[in-house]
Amino acid sequence: MALVVAENVEKSFAPRGVFARGKPVRAVASVDAQVARGEALGVVGESGSGKSTLGRLLLGLLDVTGGRVRFDGADLPKPGSAAWKTLRARMGIVFQDPFGSLDPRRSVGAQVGDGLAIHRGGAEPARIAALFERVGLDPLRMGAFPHEFSGGQRQRLGIARALATDPDFLVADEPVSALDVSIQAQVVKLLADLRRDLGLAMLFISHDLPVVRHLCDRVAVMYLGRVMEEGPVREVFARPLHPYTRALLSATPMLDPAKRATRILLPGDPPSPSDPPSGCVFRTRCSFAQAACAETVPALRAFGGPGQRVACIRAEEIS
Amino acid sequence: MLYVAKRIAISLVLVWVVATVVFLALHMVPGDPAEVLLSTGGTSPDPYAVAELRERLGLDRPIMVQYGEFIARLARGDLGTSLVDDYPVAEEILLRLPRTLELILAGTLIAVSIALPAATYAAVHAGGAFDRAASAVAAILQALPVFVLGTLLILVLAQWLRWMPAGGYVPFAQDPGRHLLLLLLPAVAVAKGLAATVFRMARAAVLEQLSRDHVRTARAKGLTPRRVVRRHVVRNAMIPVTTVLGLQMGTLLGGTVLVEFVFNWPGLSTPLLRAVETRDYPMVVGIVLTVSGLFLLINLAMDLLYAVLDPRIARS
Amino acid sequence: MQVKRLILPGAMVAFIVLLALLAPVLPLPDPVRQDVANRLAAWLPGSPLGRDEFGRDILSRIIWGARASLAVAFASAAIACLVGTTLGLLAGWFRGLAEFFAVRTADVVLCFPPILLALLVVTLLGPGTATLILVLSILYLPGFVRVTYAEVLSARGQDYVEAVRALGAPTPRILSRTVLPNIAGPVLVQFSLAVAAAVVVESGLSFLGLGVVPPTPSWGLMIRGARATMEQAPTYLLYPCLALTVTILAMNMLCDALRDAVDRKGGTRAPKLRAVDRILPGLFPTREPAPLLEVQGLTVDIATPGGAIRPVEDVSFAVRAGETLAIVGESGSGKSITATAVMGLLPPVAQVTAGVARFEGRDLLDLPEEERRRLRGGAIAMVFQDPMSSLNPVHRVGDQVAEAIRAHRDVSAAAASQEAVELLKRVGIADPERRARAYPHELSGGMRQRVMIAMAIANRPRLLIADEPTTALDVTVQAGILDLLAQLRRETGMGVVLITHSLGVVAETADEVVVMYAAQVVERGTVAEVFARPLHPYTRALLAAVPEGDAEPEGIPGVVPRPDAWPPGCRFAPRCSFATPICERPQVLEQAGERLVRCIRWKDLA
Repeated sequence: MALVVAENVEKSFAPRGVFARGKPVRAVASVDAQVARGEALGVVGESGSGKSTLGRLLLGLLDVTGGRVRFDGADLPKPGSAAWKTLRARMGIVFQDPFGSLDPRRSVGAQVGDGLAIHRGGAEPARIAALFERVGLDPLRMGAFPHEFSGGQRQRLGIARALATDPDFLVADEPVSALDVSIQAQVVKLLADLRRDLGLAMLFISHDLPVVRHLCDRVAVMYLGRVMEEGPVREVFARPLHPYTRALLSATPMLDPAKRATRILLPGDPPSPSDPPSGCVFRTRCSFAQAACAETVPALRAFGGPGQRVACIRAEEIS
Repeated sequence: MLYVAKRIAISLVLVWVVATVVFLALHMVPGDPAEVLLSTGGTSPDPYAVAELRERLGLDRPIMVQYGEFIARLARGDLGTSLVDDYPVAEEILLRLPRTLELILAGTLIAVSIALPAATYAAVHAGGAFDRAASAVAAILQALPVFVLGTLLILVLAQWLRWMPAGGYVPFAQDPGRHLLLLLLPAVAVAKGLAATVFRMARAAVLEQLSRDHVRTARAKGLTPRRVVRRHVVRNAMIPVTTVLGLQMGTLLGGTVLVEFVFNWPGLSTPLLRAVETRDYPMVVGIVLTVSGLFLLINLAMDLLYAVLDPRIARS
Repeated sequence: MQVKRLILPGAMVAFIVLLALLAPVLPLPDPVRQDVANRLAAWLPGSPLGRDEFGRDILSRIIWGARASLAVAFASAAIACLVGTTLGLLAGWFRGLAEFFAVRTADVVLCFPPILLALLVVTLLGPGTATLILVLSILYLPGFVRVTYAEVLSARGQDYVEAVRALGAPTPRILSRTVLPNIAGPVLVQFSLAVAAAVVVESGLSFLGLGVVPPTPSWGLMIRGARATMEQAPTYLLYPCLALTVTILAMNMLCDALRDAVDRKGGTRAPKLRAVDRILPGLFPTREPAPLLEVQGLTVDIATPGGAIRPVEDVSFAVRAGETLAIVGESGSGKSITATAVMGLLPPVAQVTAGVARFEGRDLLDLPEEERRRLRGGAIAMVFQDPMSSLNPVHRVGDQVAEAIRAHRDVSAAAASQEAVELLKRVGIADPERRARAYPHELSGGMRQRVMIAMAIANRPRLLIADEPTTALDVTVQAGILDLLAQLRRETGMGVVLITHSLGVVAETADEVVVMYAAQVVERGTVAEVFARPLHPYTRALLAAVPEGDAEPEGIPGVVPRPDAWPPGCRFAPRCSFATPICERPQVLEQAGERLVRCIRWKDLA
């Protein structure tokens, strides 16, 4: 049984305000996802794919508007419920922006120790020091403020804060996207070590496919709120089945000329999430689209390698 | 278009809210409103006078009836009669309002036509001699209360130098030259606060725009500096300035009361101040409603101007 | 620096407040004791400023007047602050009904011009100090509600607040530990603004005879009294005017300084520029075929409060027509400043202190500004990183493209518009007639970057400088933009300088590459050679950090040094796994076959 299970989850944001008009924006639509203990699931997609929203739904930081999320066998409690008190300690989140994710006015030691103070009744310096060491920072700098740290070090602080309560589940929302490549590799390595050593279930949200390939066991490719393809990273990256996955992979610039695929350019712009196309949401930009693609929403079905699933009615013909 | 309709609807709602607040203000005062209005210091008022005032103001009827009547009369433009001389409030306001409007308009024109070009020049040459001098003048003007400036203007220009008349009013039709001469000092006093604020805001807005990426793009296109400033800096900087201008009009309207008093300009402030002193409630209510309505109207105009300046507003 | 600005106004306000507080214990005559015999006396022993129209001591009345003014101002600001902040906090955090109630209440108060609302309340309650405090606290309530509400809303959106929420912190803990400290600054600024504004309104109402009740001394009342006698005793009018104006000036200055100190975005303005000696460029032999752009020894200094820093040092490279040269480096390597310097678009704080940038034989760095302007957007064009902020939001995109055309060619507005549509079509925008009439916010990110490119190629430039043109875009959109740039380069034969941090982009699009680290060029050569056989340890480490293939990506330990603390000798040495003591010596760019490399040990390591 997976630790975190999302069943058919959906999230729509209604327009706010008395005079608000327009349709609700559907950020996530009927997504199934599972993350087991010790497993890393990568979620890739471009802006507007709903990948960050999915991460917050799994943590209960946002409420689902459809479907349900189960954590360790039980449904996530209602917002404001007392059950969250203990549950929060078992989940952690790491953010993208190394500058916005730390409070500029509090010492980093106090922020890393927040989880301990809230759930363990106090943050002893020794425990915080251990966390600093765990993420490769000097514990002597506990009293310093965020602006005294570089981007990479701040991400380490963010990870230490998330680890303070020994969580079982960690959502990392683009944790390395804002970092330079030389720093990126350090942080990716840290996350990989932590996952191995602590047996964390991890949801790794990213738009950078090569990083996902290195860090994750499985990957889910999202487009406009839906999962297009899912499977073990090796299978999906070696033999992408969905036309969108192929386009995404072919667009990633490669150092090695031998690895370059012919670029598949997507025509037009991504449709608005408040007015998604009927049927397959990708069909408006897909070179394989047919009339049938507009009729029904393609189900995510098993196809291709072991554990690989794809949401495309023409997968057989295309491959 | 929807934006315009929405703005107008909101303004109408606000007018109604303002009227309701003014109506409720009398009833929110602890104690009997009539007694409150007639009390002076510690002595309790004459009970007959209280009873008479209660009847005059209709305070003896149920509050909802009073409210309904108040709104209905307002919709007809009937603001009641003065408690002091029974003169219809609306007529008094109609007589005085044009003079106050003239002062406001002249003040705004002076303020904007000096402050905007000065601010643009100061910001484009930030740190230069003009910038520093103009910024200092703006800071001092901002610290100088409007009635202090007015009084000092009279002291220096009228009493000592005898260049200008100390105040007063002559109708335009009677003597246009004298009318404009008498208008000048009060208009300058009214303009002062607005000019200082607009200068500071516009200078900051232009500086901010100058550092924007799109200005770099405009320069990278090879546009002349003049054109960069005119089309890509000033135009964009006007957007935040209009908002401030609208809100500042409230302070300006209040300042006009003081200026009219200082210069004996017979606008709305004469009956207003007399009414406050004699606690002539219907007159105060009439004038407060009129000026607040004017303020809302100005803000509506600013909102619409804002939409013209910023295409992101009207279209989203 | 900003704290220093607080000292003078802070001291002035403190002095005034202290005087007001100490009024009862200072050896002053009774401010209300009348002495009609000495009416309007200009000077009397014990009355250095003279006496007023009732023979009361003016100095004493001014100091006691400060007491009345400030008491009213502080009391009303404190009440407004307490109530307003609480309302704003509840409104911003709990939203819903609290939000509606608080925000609407504030809106209603703001519908009234302040003095008129005050007069309405005075009519009802009669003049007096208590009325004043009530009126002023109502007037300043909306300011606190709005500031707190907006700050709480923006704080809610911050990752660090969500982080504490994700840790399960209870609401009171979040509000008190995380939200309040972060809004304390703006609330403090609002408080000082309210006090200053309250002093103004209080004096105005007292001046009208509707504020403080005589004989209590008040500046407004004193000015009112002195007006009647200003012909006989003009100085009596000046003293309270001066006291009032200086007090408000000091308070306003304090507000401004506080606001700047709190709002860190409003950072320091450009310090005054010093005249910088321009080192005359030496004569360099030109290579064949003659490059389109040849940059030699480019050095840029930026004046900072802590002294000059040098973000670009001795940078040289050359681009030939039809070629793409990539400048690659991490944040802080100086690659963008290099491009901006060549374009002559450096911000005023930055100065080119050495070097030449020869474009078709002319030194760009030495041209008069007017001639450089003609080249910009004409023969040399530039595309920037963020297409949203780089386009002017208030003009239609077609007009912005047409403007580029008309800046360089004498064509009619109609012809330019027509040409703009053609250009939009050329850069792959579907339905160009309609899109030309769109505003930037109505287009997608990829389309905006296409508009930027259309603008850049409007006058058939011979050189295009693209500064991180795809960094802000999604990867599938990036692919489209890179293809477009390659196609335009093929068709027009223009030279392209591509500034990027993505090695993959370099590998796929460039012919030559310049690798920058800490303001210097560390390696330069053709892309094929440099990527296949990197000579500099930094280039090597950078390539190894890219996750690709099956090899585990290797991070580079440490961080890029700060520009005010470059290491002596090799700047990469502190992070380099091959560093030896010899690396502490200054390094020069050495010729290594067709390549240039700045590493003293490159031969040992090869």
